[in-house]
Amino acid sequence: MGSMSGFWTIFWAKLSEFLPNLLVGFEVTLIVAAGSFVIAMSLGLLLAIARQSQNRWASVPAGIYIEFIRGTPALTQLFIIYFGLAQLGFSLPGLVAAIAGLGLNGAAYVAEIFRAGLQAVPDGQRQAAISLGLTPYQTFRHIRIPQAVKLMMPAFCNYAIQLLKDTSLASVVAAPEVMFRARALVMETYLSMQIYVLVGLMYLSISIPLSILAGRLQRRTVKMAGAAA
Amino acid sequence: MTDLLARFASWTPELITAAGQTLYLTLAAFAGAAVLAIPICAMKMSKSASMRGFATSYIEVARGLPVLVILFIIYFGLPDVIPSFRWNSMSCAILGFALQGSALLAEIYRAGINAVERGEKEASVALGLTPLQALVHVTGPQAFRIGLPPMGNYLVGLLKDTSIASIIAAPELMLRAKDLSSSSFMPMPVYIYVSLFYLILSLPLSQLTRMLENKRVRQ
Repeated sequence: MGSMSGFWTIFWAKLSEFLPNLLVGFEVTLIVAAGSFVIAMSLGLLLAIARQSQNRWASVPAGIYIEFIRGTPALTQLFIIYFGLAQLGFSLPGLVAAIAGLGLNGAAYVAEIFRAGLQAVPDGQRQAAISLGLTPYQTFRHIRIPQAVKLMMPAFCNYAIQLLKDTSLASVVAAPEVMFRARALVMETYLSMQIYVLVGLMYLSISIPLSILAGRLQRRTVKMAGAAA
Repeated sequence: MTDLLARFASWTPELITAAGQTLYLTLAAFAGAAVLAIPICAMKMSKSASMRGFATSYIEVARGLPVLVILFIIYFGLPDVIPSFRWNSMSCAILGFALQGSALLAEIYRAGINAVERGEKEASVALGLTPLQALVHVTGPQAFRIGLPPMGNYLVGLLKDTSIASIIAAPELMLRAKDLSSSSFMPMPVYIYVSLFYLILSLPLSQLTRMLENKRVRQ
């Protein structure tokens, strides 16, 4: 292959062959990301509520879960779910294992985002709502959550970027996402540089706009906090 | 049960050695990233628009790519394009993590420097310090203190991310765990056990980071 010009010649010549194949994989990447995002958001909210609860039977297990997940690699967790569960007789398809694994992993990070966001809403808001006769649930649902979510938007954006990148790990549990397809394509063609550069561009096409969005939301949140103070 | 305990005991020495390799990979990549981040941060804060543009592109690309893609480009891609490039998997992993980490640390440095009040620098320059002296003796140390908690968070994240190096067969905890899992046919106990190793390495670091964060908030 030799020189850099040779690299680009092959890159452009093979683009029409590689791109459709890899785009099929990228679609699966986005499905894995979307599926685990939904799991992480719902489970994360429940974990955040459990973590803050007065009931020790809820707050302690939630705390242990969050610390365990945040203290260990996502790759190890995926292996536990895919290879570990298979040993116990529960063989999950790679795609399901990847979505479940990344969702369970993300829930711990999302829970911390919710906790920080809820803590940032001044307690006076809650006290005012209660004294106006709202139930604790109504206060949570209509007063605290809407204000907290605004503060949490940049962090959720950053989490989405992290998640998109983490979906590449699904390739090692044989989920047919873009890295999995890329590795198979490299085996066939030996054009590793061209293929991985192309895959990299696909990730960047999502992660860079998200990162710009996160930056804008961050500046807006800082301004909002400044105006409130 | 005693059989399982005996297994754990027999895996322990190998996993301790591998934990050392994980630590080495983490610290080497951190050191590389910390040094590489200095010129990137300087370019990002430079007056020249082209320098800033270069730094911004570098940061966005390095942060936007999965580290697995970076590792594959270095380990599988580079030798194809540059045939004389023959680094082993460990060196490739250190390089890959350092390249990505330098983008994150450059942003942490910049945030730290920007957070130090302008007046500090103006006062130092007014007292006759050169801008470089002001950075090294006045704003730098304050920025370092501000940047310490996010640097700690990055280090914890890096420690866990080094597990990805096992995919290019760099010798560290996760690779050793994979070997043990396939030789023993017991993935569940092996991966749970290796999780404990990661926890032992990461929990003290994340606790320390949290303490530093709380201290800063109180200040």
